[in-house]
Amino acid sequence: MENEKKNPNEKQKKNPLEIFDFSGENAIEVKDVDLYYGDFQALKKINMVVPKYEITAMIGPSGCGKSTLLKTLNRMNDLVEGCRVEGLITIGNRNIYGKDMDLSALRKNVGMVFQKPNPFPMSVYDNIAYGPRTFGIKKRSQLDEIVERSLRQAAMWDELKDRLNKSAIGLSGGQQQRLCIARALSVQPEILLMDEPTSALDPISTGKIEELCAELKKDVTIVMVTHNMQQAARISDKTGFFLLGELIEFGTTDDIFTSPKRPETERYITGRFG
Amino acid sequence: MKNANAAAAADTRRAPLNFKEGFAKFLFFVCACLSIIAVFGIVGFVLYGSVPAFRDIGVFQFIFGTSWNPNYDRYGILPMIVNSLIVTLFSVLLGGIVGIFTAVFLAFWCPDKIHINYRGNDPKRAQRIEKINRVLHKINLRTIFDQIIKLLAGIPSIVYGLFGLEIIVQMLSGMNGGRDGKGILACSLLLAIMVLPTVTSLVKNALEAVPESYLEGALALGNSKAQAVFCVVLPAARSGIISALILALGRAVGEAMAVIWVSGNRALFPSGLFSNIRTMTTNIVMEMGYATGLHQSALLATGFVLLVFVLIITLSMNFVPKEYRGGKGTRALLDNTGEREIPFRKQGALQDVLFGISVFFAALVALILAIIIFYIVINGIVNFSVSFITSAQAIDVPTLMPSLLATLELVGITLAIALPLGICAAIFLNEYAKPGSKVIKVIRTFIDTLSGVPSIVFGLFGMMLFRNTLGMGRSVLVGALTLVIVVLPTIIRSTEESLHAVPMSLREASYGLGASKVRTIFRIVLPSAIPGIATAAILAIGRIIGESAALVFTMGTAFTFYGDPSGAGSSLAVLLYTCANEGLHMGEAYMTAFILLIFAFVLNIIVYLIQRGVRKKRMN
Ligand SMILES: Nc1ncnc2c1ncn2[C@@H]1O[C@H](COP(=O)(O)OP(=O)(O)OP(=O)(O)O)[C@@H](O)[C@H]1O
Ligand SMILES: [Mg+2]
Repeated sequence: MENEKKNPNEKQKKNPLEIFDFSGENAIEVKDVDLYYGDFQALKKINMVVPKYEITAMIGPSGCGKSTLLKTLNRMNDLVEGCRVEGLITIGNRNIYGKDMDLSALRKNVGMVFQKPNPFPMSVYDNIAYGPRTFGIKKRSQLDEIVERSLRQAAMWDELKDRLNKSAIGLSGGQQQRLCIARALSVQPEILLMDEPTSALDPISTGKIEELCAELKKDVTIVMVTHNMQQAARISDKTGFFLLGELIEFGTTDDIFTSPKRPETERYITGRFG
Repeated sequence: MKNANAAAAADTRRAPLNFKEGFAKFLFFVCACLSIIAVFGIVGFVLYGSVPAFRDIGVFQFIFGTSWNPNYDRYGILPMIVNSLIVTLFSVLLGGIVGIFTAVFLAFWCPDKIHINYRGNDPKRAQRIEKINRVLHKINLRTIFDQIIKLLAGIPSIVYGLFGLEIIVQMLSGMNGGRDGKGILACSLLLAIMVLPTVTSLVKNALEAVPESYLEGALALGNSKAQAVFCVVLPAARSGIISALILALGRAVGEAMAVIWVSGNRALFPSGLFSNIRTMTTNIVMEMGYATGLHQSALLATGFVLLVFVLIITLSMNFVPKEYRGGKGTRALLDNTGEREIPFRKQGALQDVLFGISVFFAALVALILAIIIFYIVINGIVNFSVSFITSAQAIDVPTLMPSLLATLELVGITLAIALPLGICAAIFLNEYAKPGSKVIKVIRTFIDTLSGVPSIVFGLFGMMLFRNTLGMGRSVLVGALTLVIVVLPTIIRSTEESLHAVPMSLREASYGLGASKVRTIFRIVLPSAIPGIATAAILAIGRIIGESAALVFTMGTAFTFYGDPSGAGSSLAVLLYTCANEGLHMGEAYMTAFILLIFAFVLNIIVYLIQRGVRKKRMN
């Protein structure tokens, strides 16, 4: 709240979508966050800082609250009845649970890729043009440009440039997931949240998406939930280990995997429980 | 789907196909094929009755002739075809739009619970509001809306007809400067109300079948909920929506009794919204009572042309693409990597308006039902007379008791025949046939086709088969035999659903104990499907009680009935028709409408209670 007063953003008046200020070092700051589903507390006093243009991995056994935390970052949890968040989450210098937070603006800047690929039942082109269209881009040349740029960013342009008007449902699972990444990129987010984006895919597709993420982090900050320890070790810069709704340990990936400070982390990493 | 396969496998493993088992299977198969026989029978008999007309008048002159005058043997039905089509299109357009928006509201915005938020600090008032809230929380708005839609669907055509005559026509007459309110617009409005529940419930099902992940995907891109619903989910449900509209087309074009009093009955081309018209269906109802010879054949031929339209509409359902198959041509893109700044702006005002429209239309639907109920209840009470109920029956005075008795007998006989046949057909479809096999597909297509046949055509078929061919007179029995075919699809479908829901493990347990397939079906499967079968029976009862067009020429319109099913009588719905048709017995018509409404209401509640019971049992 205070931050908002300190940084009166001039663009704010002009365009309600550009209310975030990502000039600072950190993309996301999570402070003392508790989350309840009804009476059940799913997150306990989470504190975490996600630096800009890095890949942050979240690992931990099933049901420990990784997806829950991810969904609080773009407020997809609002859809869940009885879900209550306490604490402070700051993104781009704004309290995203503040009273006047514009959900469209938040989700445009904080994109999301889901566990199961969910392309819309439309053509490849329309899938990617969908987001920009709902933000008022109507000119064909501009849409063309966005489609091409997004597909290139997702390293799919050469693969798909001749099939732009084919149904996206007809693509393979791996292609669908990369298309969803391209779709998320189409509205030029600053942050991309990914919830086990490769768990439904074969190893080759998984490899492609990992490469893609490594490339993407030049332009976007990535927060990724994964069940695959090697994946976290391979591609992430920071790793957080969760257990029963608590963030047990958070640090550079190297530290977490080579010299964890907490015994729980070590046991999980070495596969002794999970 | 796999269940039945496994059943078949388990069966062949266990029971060698002895004679008894084979015979039972054969019997079930025959029942399943009844729908096919019925469709061919209907087409055949109605066509057979139309042959003299087509032969003597000429197919071309009949269909494209523009003048209808039985006194001079002039039989051209083009104006009626045109009228039917115009009214059908208008009504489906209107009812379709309102229905789709209502469905959107029900699927995405209708709250379960209503809640009053109080932010002031007057403790007394806060307490009072807390009390009100506690009451409000007991009401489930979504369930209420579902019931509203079901009740609208359960009100008999003839009651809609009365409502149209008294309310819609009066209202439109006001709009028309006090002149006649009947005609194109009145018919369209009334039919729009009648197709509304069909469209709403089917579209709602289609919307609820769209994966949640589409909605989430759109929201995650920064869409408002309204944008996500109207831009992604609604288009994703397009095949279901189109099917719903096609079904509504079939309903509207075949509806007879509702429009009979609001059309104005002039077989001319329309010239404006208030021009009096006659549709194909009303042509038949109006004149069949006294027609003979070529005239009668010409009316049957009208029915045949109507049937062809309906069959085309029903069959076109099979050509609705089930899922999205590639888009329209998109121009090839330039390889262009310029990094121009493209400004994103917040949008979604249009979708917010659409959201507003959905709320408005949903409220409108509730209001329409309220008006209909209010109108019928008030008139029923105001016109209440003891003599209608207690006086002895007479040929020229309508009384309740004979009709009530005739209706009960009609229901009894129809169910006694249709229920076993329908259940056996459902058993074949769910327990014997291979899922996805050709046989099943063919039988299903015919069941769907049969359920799309207009009531009035069933009436013509019953008349041709039982009276003209078998020489039986108008009687409760003939009416019941006709209605057996009418309710068969309903019974088969809901029985099948309930059989499908019986867990495979029950069957396996029975086979494991050495029981035969037939024994398993009758001892294990059917008993656990009893709630579903009861629902099927009640839906059928609703249809029988509400039916009028199929009965006028098969069961008759006599005011008297002495209990012998081989005698003529009129069911309640037909009694309403006869009473109001000449305007001589309006009081009796209102009371009958009131009783019909109560029946519809009670039947709906019973179905609701059964289904709630089943749901509770499943949860435990
Ligand atoms: N909508 C909900 N309502 C109630 N409880 C929920 C809901 N979603 C999740 N939970 C509970 O919150 C806890 C955390 O769930 P979450 O989905 O965040 O776990 P996760 O770490 O993502 O697990 P997984 O690895 O299996 O995806 C679990 O105990 C789960 O049962
Ligand atoms: Mg998860």
